Amino acid sequence: MNKHVSVNEWVAMFEEVGWDEAKRGQWHKLFEERHPEGHQGFLEWLRLPPKEIDRIRAECK
Amino acid sequence: MKTYSISKLARAFGLSRSTLLYYDRLGLLPPSGRTGSGYRCYTDKDHRRLERICHFREAGLTLKEIRGVLASGGKPGAKLVEQRLRETAASILNLRNQQRLLAAMLSRIASGNPPPVVDVKLWVEMLEAAGMDQNARKRWHTEFERRAPAGHDEFLVALGIPKAEVARIRRWSRVKGSAG
Repeated sequence: MNKHVSVNEWVAMFEEVGWDEAKRGQWHKLFEERHPEGHQGFLEWLRLPPKEIDRIRAECK
Repeated sequence: MKTYSISKLARAFGLSRSTLLYYDRLGLLPPSGRTGSGYRCYTDKDHRRLERICHFREAGLTLKEIRGVLASGGKPGAKLVEQRLRETAASILNLRNQQRLLAAMLSRIASGNPPPVVDVKLWVEMLEAAGMDQNARKRWHTEFERRAPAGHDEFLVALGIPKAEVARIRRWSRVKGSAG
């Protein structure tokens, strides 16, 4: 089994507990506000390309 | 009578001149006199007062508190002292926490393990802030374990959770697995 969790998989797990896109957006925003470095670290851990990380973080502002 | 210039008195206590100017401004230690040309002139009495101020400072009282104590007989009340004791206890706890975090950092450095991607406390705090309660978090673990067991393991390790705890979380994630 591939160790790496894809973003789709990640999203699916959050949907499973009732977190839709709006809720996930709100969570990113909170994360960015309170712990910008942790947010960056998490997105890097997901192995998102740097451009995608920048885009997500910019949307939180 | 022995007198001190501001610089001399400051030096005697290892303080700076500006500190004494500040104490004067606060009304904490006004010089007892002035020289003919207007320079501050401190007496032995001022010297003793400064000794007490320094003593209270060492015990962590604020300048405002010290002013209050000196204005009301010179003995701090039990309430104030108790409050300071509580504050020092809180500081000690805080320092212990720092010590624990530093020791953990050092052991990670020594073992060559990377630092956590996100600290687990912070991670849980963010989930809770966004409204994910404990039950939902359990469901989420179950789902993670079911879909990507190795990824689940890797993520828990990345949060800096110790191995034994990771194993424990994964065990109950499997036992209660019913989401799918």
